[in-house]
Amino acid sequence: MDLNYSPEDRAFRDTTRRWLEANTPSEDLKTLAERKAWHRKLYEAGYVGMLWPKEYGGWGATAMQQAIVQDEMAKIGAPPAINGLGIGFIGPTIIVHGSEAQKQRYLKKILTAEEIWCQLYSEPNAGSDLAGLKTRAEDAGDHYVVNGQKIWTSSGPIADWGLLLARTDPKAAKHKGISSLLMNMRQPGVEVRPLKQITGHALFSEVFMTNARVEKSDLVGKLNEGWAIAQTTLGYERGGNSLGRVTRYAIAFHQLVRATKQLRRNGKPLVEDPAVRATLGRLYAELEVQRYAGLRILSTLNKGERPGPESSITKLSYTEFEKRYYDAALELLGPWGQMMTAREEFEEIDTSSGEAGTWATAFLWARAGTIYSGSSEIQKNIIGERVLGLPKEVRADRMKA
Amino acid sequence: MDFAFTPDQTLLKNSARAFLDEHCKPAAVRLLWDDPRGESAAMWKEMAQLGWLGLSLPEEHGGSGLGMVETALVLEELGRAAYPGPFWPTMLLASAVAEHGTNEQKKRWLPAIASGDARGALALLDTDLDWNPAAVATRAEKTSTGWQLSGLKRYLAWGHVADVLLIPAHAPDGLGLFLVPPGAAGITWTPMMNMDPGTRLADLKLDRVPVRAEDRLGAPGVAAAAAQLALVRRGAVGAAAEMLGASRRCLDMAVGYAKIREAFGQPIGSFQAIRHKCADMLLETENSHAAVYYAAWALDAGAEDGATAASIAKSYVGDASRKVCSEAIQVHGGIGFTWEYDLHMYFKRAKALEAQYGDAEFHRELIVADVAK
Repeated sequence: MDLNYSPEDRAFRDTTRRWLEANTPSEDLKTLAERKAWHRKLYEAGYVGMLWPKEYGGWGATAMQQAIVQDEMAKIGAPPAINGLGIGFIGPTIIVHGSEAQKQRYLKKILTAEEIWCQLYSEPNAGSDLAGLKTRAEDAGDHYVVNGQKIWTSSGPIADWGLLLARTDPKAAKHKGISSLLMNMRQPGVEVRPLKQITGHALFSEVFMTNARVEKSDLVGKLNEGWAIAQTTLGYERGGNSLGRVTRYAIAFHQLVRATKQLRRNGKPLVEDPAVRATLGRLYAELEVQRYAGLRILSTLNKGERPGPESSITKLSYTEFEKRYYDAALELLGPWGQMMTAREEFEEIDTSSGEAGTWATAFLWARAGTIYSGSSEIQKNIIGERVLGLPKEVRADRMKA
Repeated sequence: MDFAFTPDQTLLKNSARAFLDEHCKPAAVRLLWDDPRGESAAMWKEMAQLGWLGLSLPEEHGGSGLGMVETALVLEELGRAAYPGPFWPTMLLASAVAEHGTNEQKKRWLPAIASGDARGALALLDTDLDWNPAAVATRAEKTSTGWQLSGLKRYLAWGHVADVLLIPAHAPDGLGLFLVPPGAAGITWTPMMNMDPGTRLADLKLDRVPVRAEDRLGAPGVAAAAAQLALVRRGAVGAAAEMLGASRRCLDMAVGYAKIREAFGQPIGSFQAIRHKCADMLLETENSHAAVYYAAWALDAGAEDGATAASIAKSYVGDASRKVCSEAIQVHGGIGFTWEYDLHMYFKRAKALEAQYGDAEFHRELIVADVAK
């Protein structure tokens, strides 16, 4: 056990910091074009697609180096790269399961964000029970015809392509008969309607497919084996990088402390109230524990080990913490903490800066983490069954199958 | 960077587990609960032979020169076994002597501790329930041959089997740490019955207890206060490691039980109400692992956040182990509430340790004082 960074990692951190200090835009990026330009710059510097193999345009870096970049970006407040779903989950899925032609056609443009990707999984009647999805892709000779509806689609309005889960064999049992397809979002049969979230922003959407077209060559892996592919995708999504996230929590914590020094109650600053101090102490302990746990996962990833079902523990831990964190913060901050700040619609809001006006959004946004990419309840099922080896529950759909 | 244990550390952990599985079975612990002494002298000798008692002591004084990570590994296993005895207070006293002692003090105590011939105890609390050195009320007055100590020390663990006590007291030149034989004149012992019969506590009344000049440990004043607080923090990390072990044992028992106990025609572990509880318990236990070993490493490495990490470990793991051990009882239902079933041994040990070396509230204040300056 040795938690010191290696000399190479320390040198890499210095280089990264210097690059970010010299290149980070001084003003907010307002348009998608500006965000894409910044993304391109990050990519060319080697800070996007770091874990991707070099042959597909990636950098073949270590998990530690990637964590260092995200950590330094959080510290300096650099705008994040875009196309997160494409780079974090969809691209790696194509690398593992896709054909050579698919790799040539799609991967590089995912990395450069020339093409933005979304994930077309959840449906109005298939959320946690994802395998219950009803969208159909029917064989029409040289292509598939897709009909159905998807929901909670992040980046839907700006997406060029989507990784789609659709039923290709309606007669097969629930978890069978599902395929993974790559679908062009820019076609007449695809309609995207933005969905306004409780934060007031419309970062996700509904997607309606009416006789939409998917080429046969855009089937990922084998026909009717999409469920297994979806499991790898989700695995990547839950693997997560926690170091940058925790750094954002820490930055917000220091802003929280600053606010408790300025806000007053009973004639004295909040920070002098023993009850407030106990809360601050608990929050800081919890966020540091998230960091320690993140280092533990990171050191596993850095040895080239893939995130397994244990990654469910990480996801459960930080999303539930995030909720407790902002709940407690807003309790301390009173009406001041409830002030909102307006942002552009397409932007992934940096809710973690802790600046005035960001607490309310962060508080609201924290509700999402325990729902998306496998709710807390689903994570606990995974932990119970696959990590602790507890018996599976008797489920109506399994009995029928 | 690597958070995983080295092969040597894994070996140590496995051998500790194997030893305790054989020599510290629940039945053996129950016998010690009923024993007036409360610890096994035979097991102590064997622990010495295994090298545990000198694990973190300097090699020139009979130790192995290892660190807090290795010590925490052993403590986690001791907690998992609900081991009753003076291991941790003795190790803490030894670490204080190794760090602040004169050559004579080291020669007197360290080899004897490493070989299993001496045990130690720490009188860190006075009447005020504050683990801060500022709360020490006991006084040390100068005499022609040294000092005499007067005051009341409370909730002293394992003092009745100790060969030497570390007693903080205020002297005219500032706070001092004194090494005192437990049988010294003027000491009155009042043993207490703790909720955990594997934690033996006593009050200690000091009435002009004579201490030789050469038995004062380290420099007076600010240095002594810093040494005492460092001892509380090191103690906190060790207690957190023991509580982690108790959590692991309770989690294992709960999961094992949930797999075989049937209700409504199926194992209770198949019900989400039980499975989700177990998942939460695992989450708390894994986070506790990260907290304990980060803090242990930070102490060994002299990391700048070492002191805060110790307080984080104690406050986080204290809360987590109480939850995990309590939920294990809930998963078991009625059988978990019986004296006969072993679960309460670990539940009680975790609870007893929660109040030692500063409780969660105490450590949260240390954290805030550090990060909200």
